[in-house]
Amino acid sequence: MSTVEDRPTTDTTGSPRENGGRRWVGRSVLRKEDPKLLAGRAVYVGDVALPGMLHGAVLRSPHAHARIVSIDTSAAEAIPGVAAVLTGAQAAELVNPMPAFCAEPVPQTAIAIERVRYPGEAVAIVAATDRYVAEDACAAIKVEYEVLPAVVDPEAAMAPDATRIHETLDSNVAFHRTLDFGDVDADVARAHTVVRTRARWHRMGAQPMETAGAVASWNPFDQSMTVYSNSNFHNFLPWAFAGMLGVSTNRLRMIPCAVGGSFGSKHFITKVLAIAGALTKATGRPVQYLEDRVDNISANDNVGCDRIYDAELALTEDGEMISLTLRIIDDYGAYFQFAHGQHGNAMAQPTGPYRIGSLRYDVSCVLTNKVQQGFFRGAGADPGNFVLERLVDKASEELGIDRAEIRRRNFIAPEQFPFKTPPGNVYDSGDYAAVLDRALEIAGIDKWRAEQERLRAEGRYLGIGLATCQERTGYNASEWWFLYDNPPLPATSTPESVKLDVDAMGGVRVEIGCPLWGNSPETVVSQVVAEEFGIDPADVSVTYADSTTGAMSAGPGGSRLTIMLSGATRGASRTIRDKMIRIAAHAMEMDPDDVECVDGTFRAKGAPSTSMSMAEIGMRAHLFFHDTPEEESSGLVAVHTYDHPYSTPPSADRKDMGAFYPMVSHACHIPIVEVDPETGVVTLRAYYAVNDCGTLMNPTLVEGQIVGGIVQGIGAALMEEYRYGEDGSLDTPTFREYLMPSMHEVPEIVVEHLETPSPFTEYGVKGAGEGGRLVAPTAIASAVDDALKPLGVWVDELPMTPERVVGMVAGAREGRP
Amino acid sequence: MKPAAFAYLAPRDLDEALDQLAEHGADARVLAGGQSLVRLMNARLASPAVVVDINRVPGLDSLAVTNGSGPATLRLGATVRQRTSELSPDVAAHAPLLVEAGAHVAHAPVRSRGTVVGSVAFADPSAELPTALLALDGRVVVRSRAGERTIEADDFFTGAFTNALDAGEMVVAIEVPGSPPGTGSAFVEVARRHGDLPVCGVAAVVTRSDDGRVSSARIALCGADERPVRARAAEDALTGSDGGADAVAEAAARAADGLSPRGDCHGSPDFRRHLARILTGRAVSTAVHRAAGEA
Amino acid sequence: MGETTAPEKIRIGLTVNDVRHDLLVEPRTLLADLLRGDLELTGTHIGCEQGVCGACTVLVDGTATRSCLVFAAQLDGAAVRTVESLAGADGTLHPIQQAFHENHGLQCGFCTPGMLMGACELLERTAEPDPDEVREALGGNLCRCTGYQNIVRSVCAAGRTMTADRNSTATTTATTTATTTNGAQA
Repeated sequence: MSTVEDRPTTDTTGSPRENGGRRWVGRSVLRKEDPKLLAGRAVYVGDVALPGMLHGAVLRSPHAHARIVSIDTSAAEAIPGVAAVLTGAQAAELVNPMPAFCAEPVPQTAIAIERVRYPGEAVAIVAATDRYVAEDACAAIKVEYEVLPAVVDPEAAMAPDATRIHETLDSNVAFHRTLDFGDVDADVARAHTVVRTRARWHRMGAQPMETAGAVASWNPFDQSMTVYSNSNFHNFLPWAFAGMLGVSTNRLRMIPCAVGGSFGSKHFITKVLAIAGALTKATGRPVQYLEDRVDNISANDNVGCDRIYDAELALTEDGEMISLTLRIIDDYGAYFQFAHGQHGNAMAQPTGPYRIGSLRYDVSCVLTNKVQQGFFRGAGADPGNFVLERLVDKASEELGIDRAEIRRRNFIAPEQFPFKTPPGNVYDSGDYAAVLDRALEIAGIDKWRAEQERLRAEGRYLGIGLATCQERTGYNASEWWFLYDNPPLPATSTPESVKLDVDAMGGVRVEIGCPLWGNSPETVVSQVVAEEFGIDPADVSVTYADSTTGAMSAGPGGSRLTIMLSGATRGASRTIRDKMIRIAAHAMEMDPDDVECVDGTFRAKGAPSTSMSMAEIGMRAHLFFHDTPEEESSGLVAVHTYDHPYSTPPSADRKDMGAFYPMVSHACHIPIVEVDPETGVVTLRAYYAVNDCGTLMNPTLVEGQIVGGIVQGIGAALMEEYRYGEDGSLDTPTFREYLMPSMHEVPEIVVEHLETPSPFTEYGVKGAGEGGRLVAPTAIASAVDDALKPLGVWVDELPMTPERVVGMVAGAREGRP
Repeated sequence: MKPAAFAYLAPRDLDEALDQLAEHGADARVLAGGQSLVRLMNARLASPAVVVDINRVPGLDSLAVTNGSGPATLRLGATVRQRTSELSPDVAAHAPLLVEAGAHVAHAPVRSRGTVVGSVAFADPSAELPTALLALDGRVVVRSRAGERTIEADDFFTGAFTNALDAGEMVVAIEVPGSPPGTGSAFVEVARRHGDLPVCGVAAVVTRSDDGRVSSARIALCGADERPVRARAAEDALTGSDGGADAVAEAAARAADGLSPRGDCHGSPDFRRHLARILTGRAVSTAVHRAAGEA
Repeated sequence: MGETTAPEKIRIGLTVNDVRHDLLVEPRTLLADLLRGDLELTGTHIGCEQGVCGACTVLVDGTATRSCLVFAAQLDGAAVRTVESLAGADGTLHPIQQAFHENHGLQCGFCTPGMLMGACELLERTAEPDPDEVREALGGNLCRCTGYQNIVRSVCAAGRTMTADRNSTATTTATTTATTTNGAQA
């Protein structure tokens, strides 16, 4: 079925199936990150206080679309304690426009110049002695606007005569492309049934509990800048930040802070960096700019996909899925900074876990007067899973094939891996039927069906959901630009680095390039070091590198961190361990091949009493050059950069996008809901999930990621949504309107794991960071559907708010589609 | 999101508080629990020049059932915390509706500080406690330097976030009259999230006479109009009926008559009217059963 | 009204984590900002400034309180307890913190101080809460990472541990007393 050439093979000895001898990889080691977080001693960016530091605040546009006629800052400047007030034009003299990944001419500055294009766009910024005074100053700025027509509806925005968001573009359709993989027309022609859905996935946002922020400190004397922030790209794209900040790349020092959650929203945070950067340059003093919640919701780039799908799945009579067509209108908002990266991402798994032979992917990226899209957990694959699984459920209905059975018939079989999907991405491994079977088992489906029947007799509506979805993991930034032919950027690797050293007393220290973003990098790194040296993870010290190390790290994102950190740490460990073996062998007058590292000692194979401790070797390596092998330099330090384990470039004609996201986890979710069709209230009664993310590095931590993701998925399914008024005003600017689940909306969630190791990665690990949210929304939609089946309801729009559910019930009653 | 500057006054007794309110008039806001006011001030949706903190005024924290010449009356002072009220056996015995409705208000840490009277005075058209007070036929006791007056709850709520207080006046207490035997009450609501303000909520108080007929019905709605409102048409449908399923259905069908809800991101006007009908049916049904002494 | 003279500052005496502070505060200074700024207790986090998220929860006179919805000026004479009061100076975690650690009750840690302080109040009142009681007490605290399940587990586990600790202390005391008594008899 598929051929995969040039795939790397990795040493997977130590995978649980082949080697039960692993000691630390696979164990639920308690998190090393916890104590400082629990004690309130971790330093988040809002906790950074530098001598003489000022505080920033932003005046934001109340209008979705307006021309700025005039700005009068004189009253604000007169307020005692105000150090600087900058308009967009003034800030533009200090910092440059924000870096953009789009090829189209859509310039964006952190503070608007002449025109605002979304509600909440920054109009002026202030630095003052404290945030209170800074906000006083914002309130004293007088802005005169000429209100322009707001473009709110993405379909209306596509009309040739629609109000243009950017005069630099010919139309509000910033990007359109149709990509065919395989012979779609022939497959549809031979299909017995084509099921269709028009589905709506509204915009939601990451909403980490901590907002984005930066403390920037400009030193005018040596033209250098130090920036504390909660970005994770300080070791990936620091040059891009330097360009924006107007600092030479080798004089920008970016220091990571503990981060209060991101979920994809804090990669770039170029707005806060530019605001803090402009204010420190204007004042010559350190400036902290930390978004408040309204800043974050209205203007942070944490908004996810906002799509309208017209989707078709073609099947044979016996339910074989043969072709998928996705026509997508995606409302990108007012700017296009990250281009169509979320569609590049979606290209990793549009056909899901199924053997679908051909794909047509037609995407229109449309600009409107809303805050631009950024990234949010799922990053484009989330609505894809929603739509595909809805189509599969619909096919199950129309063909009269049980929904588990139709999936089973179409799953890629274990022996077909590595499997090349129609767009070219490769899936590494999996056993999807086993996951499905186990999920049905732990959910106790028969018991729930009986309960459903019992409740229906009482006029109550219980529903059992089912979804089987992919989670592509280990991203590769090529997806940000490979839908373009032009500029034809080559594929990237998106690497991760660590620096490991063993000191003279044998202590192991690892400096990592990623920040603490809520993940568990210290724990993972310690487990890997412990595994490789046979020492206790508690004895490993882990610190966070700033941007001056020069070692590349892309950090968390795209469910990559555990894959990449274990690769980097294992590589560095092996380099140092091998050097220590050589030094020990030299000291013990043996051949290095006869020396092994066991339990933190280096000993003769077969004669364990002949050994050296890590401290003995460490001291020798650090101080006694003449007692080490001739070819060895002093010291025990290694930087290991682990490149993406398996990526291939897209073909020039884009008939094959290449392997770019090949570590593919899989899950089956079975939520149980009860729906009150009169009030539209959906209550989750239970939730079952079986997940396969390859070798589990740390089962407890993986479960934490999955459960957390599922609850975000519950939010996506039932609650979370940016809403805009007809005039483009944002109706959901605080947590009182943008609703996320609380403890009360969450049922007991049962998670189980299967382990199909990846052949591409160290230890066989795959990612697990996004899976919960990638599966839960569509699974819950399926459950609501199942509950309301007697009423003829078909769910094709999320979130299923009480009003939407009541509307769906009424629509079904009236025979509306 | 930080409040604008204001002058802070902390009167030591009621007279001092009333003097300060008289002096500053409309520039002053009374601060009790602050769980709504401080939120608005943080967002600069309220920027009073003067804040009069009444938390140190003695006597305002009294919660008592008085048996004067007339029927027993529950009186809650202006600084009685919602949490205190909901845990009070007196309130549970005298006005269980206040407890039932109050349990829906936000979360324990907010109710520990927030006051019942503060919620009433704030007059949020979506809030539970004003609606409960309305259904309970409660009264609002207000004071100024000129003296004290009592305002019927129905006259107190004049619009969204507006009340019948004059400048210089403050609410010192609310009063809830006792209910005759054969009275049952219920509060039901639909909120988007536990603890959030409801999209719509219904408080019902039903009294049945010895023959089982509904002798009195008071139904109040939140989230269904510009202010907490009585559903008079529904009450009329129920009053004099046998309280059976048909009567309840009739009351429910009329519950939204004449309502003009404001729509927002949690529910359109139409949806709120829909919920008003559905929830009225449920609240009334429960209240009728409770009036008959059933669970 | 309307003149721009700064309002008079308010003098308060405030005990924070058993340390008495005499402070002159602006009327508008929120407790959360006083703690994080002047008092440099940055363990209390600010998430929404609208009382919705609960991240800033501290104990005021033993009651869990949103520190973003209280002015410091209101708190003359009050005793405030923050997350910094929980762990020992030697790094020993409080049993509630330890339970969060052992049950993976946190990820990014930003909501955690609010959860911990809310849990402190709950466990003071209810020694061994069941999951529903935990949800009732902490349901107003939002967490975006964990999905809550492990937070609920953590608080329940902390209740059990603290009860067991109290009982074993009581038993030890009783034993000691008994021994002494025996000794006296001998």
